[in-house]
Amino acid sequence: MLRHILGELFAKGRRPMLKPGDPAPEFELQDHLGRLVRLSGLRGKRVVLWFYPKADTPG
Amino acid sequence: MILGISFDSVEENRAFAEKFGYPFPLLSDPDRKVGIAYKAAEGPKERYAKRFTYVIGPDGKIEQAIDTKDPAGQASALLPTL
Repeated sequence: MLRHILGELFAKGRRPMLKPGDPAPEFELQDHLGRLVRLSGLRGKRVVLWFYPKADTPG
Repeated sequence: MILGISFDSVEENRAFAEKFGYPFPLLSDPDRKVGIAYKAAEGPKERYAKRFTYVIGPDGKIEQAIDTKDPAGQASALLPTL
């Protein structure tokens, strides 16, 4: 019970994200050299997708 | 593999990659479509992407979702997966 309540409290502060098991939405974007990168072209590999706020900001 | 992604232009990302010598691609999502699909932006006018990191499995499904602003979701949690 206590664990459940604590879990709910912590969940409130969390920002919504996709969840483990969800299909990763397909994308096709240009990289910094202008090359097209398509997620489905990387099937079979583990991909870490790192969103960052702005080029050249710390963190 | 690692893919960085932001709402910057290709040119801004190129300068960023060159400055820091990042060995992985930095993707440009200027219309925030991908950011919205991954909940890292709430709309096309959002200025910056949220600091979210996803690990996508070889099957194309999300394996891990990490909010790196959340102290419980430090990037170090990623290390064992790489």
